[in-house]
Amino acid sequence: MQVTGDPETTLVTYSLGSCIGVVIYDPVVRVGGLLHYMLPESKIDAEKARTNPWMFADTGIPLFFKEAYKLGAEKRRIKVKVVGGSQILDTCGFFNTGKRNYTALRKIFWTNEVLVEAEVVGGNVNRTVSIEISSGKVWVKTSGNGVIEI
Amino acid sequence: MNLDEKICQSINQLPPFPIVIQRAMELIENPRSSAQDVVDVIQFDQAITADVLRLCNSAYFGLRRNVDSLREALVMVGFNQLLDIILTRGSVQIYGKPCKGYDLDSGELWRHSVACALLSRIVAKQLKWEAQPAHFTAALLHDIGKMVLSDFVKDYLKDIQNLIETRQVSFIDAEREVLGIDHAELGGKITDQWKFPKTIVSAVRYHHSPSLAQEDHQAVQLVYLCDVIAMITGIGGGADGLSYPAYGEVMKQYNLKEEDIERFIVQLDDRFHLVDEVLRAK
Repeated sequence: MQVTGDPETTLVTYSLGSCIGVVIYDPVVRVGGLLHYMLPESKIDAEKARTNPWMFADTGIPLFFKEAYKLGAEKRRIKVKVVGGSQILDTCGFFNTGKRNYTALRKIFWTNEVLVEAEVVGGNVNRTVSIEISSGKVWVKTSGNGVIEI
Repeated sequence: MNLDEKICQSINQLPPFPIVIQRAMELIENPRSSAQDVVDVIQFDQAITADVLRLCNSAYFGLRRNVDSLREALVMVGFNQLLDIILTRGSVQIYGKPCKGYDLDSGELWRHSVACALLSRIVAKQLKWEAQPAHFTAALLHDIGKMVLSDFVKDYLKDIQNLIETRQVSFIDAEREVLGIDHAELGGKITDQWKFPKTIVSAVRYHHSPSLAQEDHQAVQLVYLCDVIAMITGIGGGADGLSYPAYGEVMKQYNLKEEDIERFIVQLDDRFHLVDEVLRAK
């Protein structure tokens, strides 16, 4: 998890797999952040959630927004983009971490009335996401394919 | 010459196999030999020795005092764990070059392989299996075929991607159809050519098709499962993405649930970052 107001910075998280990258940006104060979480629910390991809350959607996402608020970002202005949540070709339902990660995020956003401006989720590809803090531009690179701005 | 024959000939382009791993293979095949044999070989390689000691002294093991020599490390962390470290460090040079065809920078495939190898220990422990160096090695080398196939995938990536899109097949099926051979089969040929134990050859060969393996089912299924979990984490993930088939039978056979997969990912997180920091491929 990284949150910054430094206009010289570009935040990047590589190769998301079934993980989710959440990008937030407040264009007025030019504060942005990037959260890379791996799993939907912290109940799987309470001790891990204490030492690394960023690993889980339910503990990581609320803290992530709070970190941005500390730097002057405001909820009503924050733009949210979501990337990742891929899956292997599973028809047996054992390896649904990507879908579960995405569902956990939608649930948290629904409860807290957060709208998602853009998303590139699902499928079975690896994605890398980055945000340029000076402009708030967000790029998604799909491994083996090109880079797009979202 | 057919394309698949040309690909098989390219096996010779791989860098020479590290003597450390060769010796480790001999150990795996001959249980009567001692860990001291491996220590005797690697102590003359200062770079490997230094990295092995750094990892032994890292938070990964949480030893109460520092170890200064491989002999001491052997006593403090035990034979199996020392062998794991040596294999992990020894494999750095095999995965040295970038895999452009899979859109992987230098060291990325090594990171994926290390994640898979660490998972093999985590999953085996949950299943109450004895820690076997052959399982760890197979997990570490399961994608070795990509190191050779990468150049060919690079030339034919558009064809592979088109096939995936038009026929809805997995990456490995498209790889095999376009190139005449896939990275798992090629990996099997490489490890066979290197005269590795057959358990390792089987696990590498069938790591995407465990139901086709005729023997060594435990090793094959373990490596298959660990590879899937490593893919889910995205560590060292490339152009092939997660485009591989799932075999629920393996989960059912060992009575594993989705929550177990998530617990394995949690356990991997700490271990992987420690190993990655200390031994990151240069």
